[in-house]
Amino acid sequence: MATAIEKCVHCGFCLAACPTYSLLGEEMDSPRGRIYLMKNVLEDKLPAEEAQPYIDRCLGCMACVPACPSGVAYGDLLVGYRALQEKERARPPLDALARKMMIETLPYPRRFRLAAAAGKIGAALAPALPDAFASMLSLLPDRLPPPRPLPAVLPAQGDRRGKVALMLGCVQQALAPEIAYAAAHTLAANGVEAQIPQAQGCCGSILLHIGAAEQAQQIARRNLEAIPSDVDAIITTAAGCGSGIKDYALLFKGEPDQDRAADFAHKAMDFSAYLAELGLREARGFDSEVRIVYQDACHLLHAQGHEAEPRKLLASIPNLRLLNIADAGMCCGSAGTYNIDQPKIAAELARRKVESILAVEPDMVVSGNIGCMAQLRQQLKSSGNPLPVMHIAELLWQAHQR
Amino acid sequence: MGPVARIQALVRESERVHVRGNGSKPALHIHAAAAAPVDLSALNGVIDYQASEYTITAYAGASVADIAAALAEQGQYLPFDPLFPAEATIGGTVAANLSGSRRFRYGGVRDFILGAQVVDGRGRAFRVGGKVVKNAAGFDLSKFLVGSLGQYAIMTELTFKVFPDVPRFRSLRFNYGTLDAALKAIYFSNQNVYELDALDLLPAEDGWSLLARLGGYEETLPRRTERFADGMMQGAAACAVSEVADEASLWDPLAGLPGRYLCKVVLGPRQIPALDALIGNASRRYGVGGNLAWIASDDCAEIEQALKQLGLSGLCLRGDRPTPIIGRPVDNVLAQRVKQVLDPQNKLV
Amino acid sequence: MMNSAFFTALEKICPAERILTRDAQLLPYESDALTAFHLKPGAVVLPESEAEIIDTVRLCHEMAVPFVARGSGTSLSGGSLPIPDGLVIALNRLNRIKKLDPEQRIAVVEPGVVNLHITQAAAPYGLYYAPDPSSQSICTIGGNIAFNSGGAHCLKYGMTSNHVLGMKVVLADGALTQFGCESVEGVGIGPDLVGLFVGSEGLFGIALEITLRLMPQPELYRTVLAAYDDLGRAGDAVSMVVASGLLPGAMEIMDRLAIKAAEASVAAGYPDAEALLIVELEGEAPQVQAEFEQLRGIIEDSGAFELRVANSEEERDRIWKGRKGAFSAVGRLSPDYIVQDGVVPRSRLGEALLAIGALKRQYGLDVANVFHAGDGNLHPLILYDGREPGALERAEELAGEILALCVSLGGSITGEHGIGMEKREYLPAMFSEEEIDIMQALRRAIDPKEIANRGKMFPGGEAPALKQQGMHPLEKQGIISRE
Repeated sequence: MATAIEKCVHCGFCLAACPTYSLLGEEMDSPRGRIYLMKNVLEDKLPAEEAQPYIDRCLGCMACVPACPSGVAYGDLLVGYRALQEKERARPPLDALARKMMIETLPYPRRFRLAAAAGKIGAALAPALPDAFASMLSLLPDRLPPPRPLPAVLPAQGDRRGKVALMLGCVQQALAPEIAYAAAHTLAANGVEAQIPQAQGCCGSILLHIGAAEQAQQIARRNLEAIPSDVDAIITTAAGCGSGIKDYALLFKGEPDQDRAADFAHKAMDFSAYLAELGLREARGFDSEVRIVYQDACHLLHAQGHEAEPRKLLASIPNLRLLNIADAGMCCGSAGTYNIDQPKIAAELARRKVESILAVEPDMVVSGNIGCMAQLRQQLKSSGNPLPVMHIAELLWQAHQR
Repeated sequence: MGPVARIQALVRESERVHVRGNGSKPALHIHAAAAAPVDLSALNGVIDYQASEYTITAYAGASVADIAAALAEQGQYLPFDPLFPAEATIGGTVAANLSGSRRFRYGGVRDFILGAQVVDGRGRAFRVGGKVVKNAAGFDLSKFLVGSLGQYAIMTELTFKVFPDVPRFRSLRFNYGTLDAALKAIYFSNQNVYELDALDLLPAEDGWSLLARLGGYEETLPRRTERFADGMMQGAAACAVSEVADEASLWDPLAGLPGRYLCKVVLGPRQIPALDALIGNASRRYGVGGNLAWIASDDCAEIEQALKQLGLSGLCLRGDRPTPIIGRPVDNVLAQRVKQVLDPQNKLV
Repeated sequence: MMNSAFFTALEKICPAERILTRDAQLLPYESDALTAFHLKPGAVVLPESEAEIIDTVRLCHEMAVPFVARGSGTSLSGGSLPIPDGLVIALNRLNRIKKLDPEQRIAVVEPGVVNLHITQAAAPYGLYYAPDPSSQSICTIGGNIAFNSGGAHCLKYGMTSNHVLGMKVVLADGALTQFGCESVEGVGIGPDLVGLFVGSEGLFGIALEITLRLMPQPELYRTVLAAYDDLGRAGDAVSMVVASGLLPGAMEIMDRLAIKAAEASVAAGYPDAEALLIVELEGEAPQVQAEFEQLRGIIEDSGAFELRVANSEEERDRIWKGRKGAFSAVGRLSPDYIVQDGVVPRSRLGEALLAIGALKRQYGLDVANVFHAGDGNLHPLILYDGREPGALERAEELAGEILALCVSLGGSITGEHGIGMEKREYLPAMFSEEEIDIMQALRRAIDPKEIANRGKMFPGGEAPALKQQGMHPLEKQGIISRE
């Protein structure tokens, strides 16, 4: 087992980092409380369904992990627990339906496109639907963008400085194909050959996140087959995919594919971290000052520890001014399918986040994760300040083209 | 019988008991003329002084002058800066809670008291607080003694935290045309990095004077003084600023406060304009950055009226008053509960 | 009694959804940061206003239901351990800073405000809230008041008590009162009731509104890290600093085991040493620069084999991060540990450390030492493995011996964590029977039914048995593991 964990000493340092605790101020909605609940359930001292609402409210943002002095690997604990419990869990029919829809559509770009189109039709019914459905619908864009095809290999321009495989993502590829397009071309422009295997699929982390471990494993195995092993890194452009792939070792623990999965996980690297390490070839930028807020995706900041790298990349763009916001490390409420599962808490977190963003008066918001982008875009719009929200790859590609 | 046992016996045998040290605050004793006097003369002097521990223990009847002298030999001082440094006993200073101008830097009596030996109104002798600089065991009754006017327990021994003193001082006088301008200067200073030893506000010939004192190393003081003066002039311009040569003479807050009555009022700087408008005939000085008022006058009624109007309480230190507390009456349910336990028969007055 | 009449009345004060009674809601409140004790409360209530707190306390008094006011549950002495069949009044939702007046250097806050949030709010005005317990990122002002919390920077500016100017409280019998004032002088006319209330461990009542003193942020910090190959030498260096007339903001010592834990936790890059001394000077830049030259000379003469000076805010943070996380970081070295908190006169630190060394050999247990050397406040961390039968009891016994040692050297059984649940039986080591009786009488005068934080501070009463937490079930199943 690659990830180690030590016991929680109940010091409470994690409470300060936890978005649900800061919102609700209840011990059972804190990491420390959840660890205690999981323990009681597994020791048969508490029925699982009693604890479930509080476990479900966890965003999985991992902000508690760096905050923990004792080194409790909360993420492993949560994924392990959710997977164990999901098997035994009976959900109310409507919940079960929403969940089934998510499991069967989100990871598959084509199915998702279809569902999205259907959803558009259903939008008129939204007010009559329960919260969970309403929020699923509200996240969909007005219309889906046209696909941006990419070749199987995008060769490096100039001297080759590296060779990577690019993960396209699932929801992202349907909702915002321009992100992968911008990422591939930015890599190529910086001398990196990008392999884009067509047989790849969803990384499975969205399924793992909600405890659907078996389905996640099936999907992940497809990627182990599809991605070539002779690359320097496996690049992800969605924070959740990156940290999900980092969990492949845990996902395949004790299975024949364990070593291969560990190797795969080891090579996975976020787009911004890879480019920051490599360094941009030439800094092209904007003619006049552009004020930017960089929104940390939890799965980049907390789960993968990338605080400095994206900022370093942005700082190397001329005329770009990076602004600091209050509570930068606090989740925006997107958190995978969280805005679908827990719409009220997600909305409040989004409101707070946008409030701190608007306080510094930026021209645009940049993030490394489509979930955060969708969440912020929607909240900015409803607050009457529809600022542009961009993926860091898109910004770099735009800057490069100038 | 030792001196503490004598006090215990006196308390047990008497109906009313009253403590008086050197009598530097005569108004505190008038109401208790009929009570049996507690003699503290045998409880005089320093008991234990550990310069390396930053602690000193002395009998309650010790004079603050003797304590200050002992501390000065080791380059230390009582940072709350006892108000009557020549006349007061340490017990009286605690009972009346009287700090001087230098209190501004680190805190008042309450911030430096660590523990005490007391005799309560039932004649029990016991200890409150501790003797080390840090202690969180039990209820902190030693702090409760600060300002208690000897009405809950008679202090016989007191332990304080002390600090190393600074070697040199410099003082500046800023003149302002109006009270408002002078208060603005205090507010400006309060939001800056200056670490002043003292900051007092008092009426001057053509308006108001703000007196500021800096303490520290000889070699750093000129620069700090200059930059403080420049900063203040930029942030809250004064009509004039000057360094005072004989600076030590500035820091007796009671000097230049003539009048039959003298009282202490605790307030916030924002309350000064309202109070000042009502006591224009009295001489006064606002110490500790405007958090404390020293008011002297021959007309106590005017002061009393002003305090009542503003909901403030004052403590008379000088003058023939039936009770020392004037203005809004001081009465608190928590204090009553303590009294019930320590002095149920109301012996200590 | 917590009967149905009680709950009916409580629901009239607080809506039912803010009254927690289900097991899943109560279990997480079972213990604070001292997990050796855990007790499930009868109910938890989450008031959202001052009036709700007052009415709840009055109801508890009327129906003789014991209650415990709770903030973030970070007490290391079991101070917020619930009472079975009692109510937990969780104050976390009263977390507003009601007033910030930088011109007067004052803040007025509710009890559930997190310590660090006050400093963050005051920062734009160049001010900060000085007391900095290691848990400052999460502990609340209400809890700081109950236990007179300290921190690394108490030497110069004191503990919580020295920074509270006034408060409004509801006493345990429902009486409402106010004392202190919005003046930096704090105590008005009459006895210092703030000083009495702070540190009363929740036995007097609940603070509803607190006026705090803010301080100017030091213009410059000079933080020095000195490494020694001998713990005693580090202790001597502290005495040398004190004798020189310097008044540092903080002086901290960590021994080898504590250094190891801190390294494992935050990789602070500490030198490999038997002891580390952190000295921090703070204040106006010109003065601090001059003091620093003096300090450097002292440390160089003190036999340190390495001296590091933090040259940036980042380096300073790193030095402190290792120190502040040291307690919890010990969780990486040992399955279980007890944090102790005793005080000895500073000049007897060396003696105390030698004696602790002898005790740990005698008991066959490891002890890591982290302490506020400037004020002689020791925090020995006793490491043990709770899975081993009798280990917890042995550790408790060793902890008791350390406290007895502190008292015998003229110190105290607690510098900042308070008596709480953990040290009740040691109170008689510091106070005579009569002194304890007087404190008890005072408590009963305020709380005749002894409902406020019943069972804390005073010896006797039904003590919950020490319980071992044991491994997390996922650990037992091999799903998760330790390094």
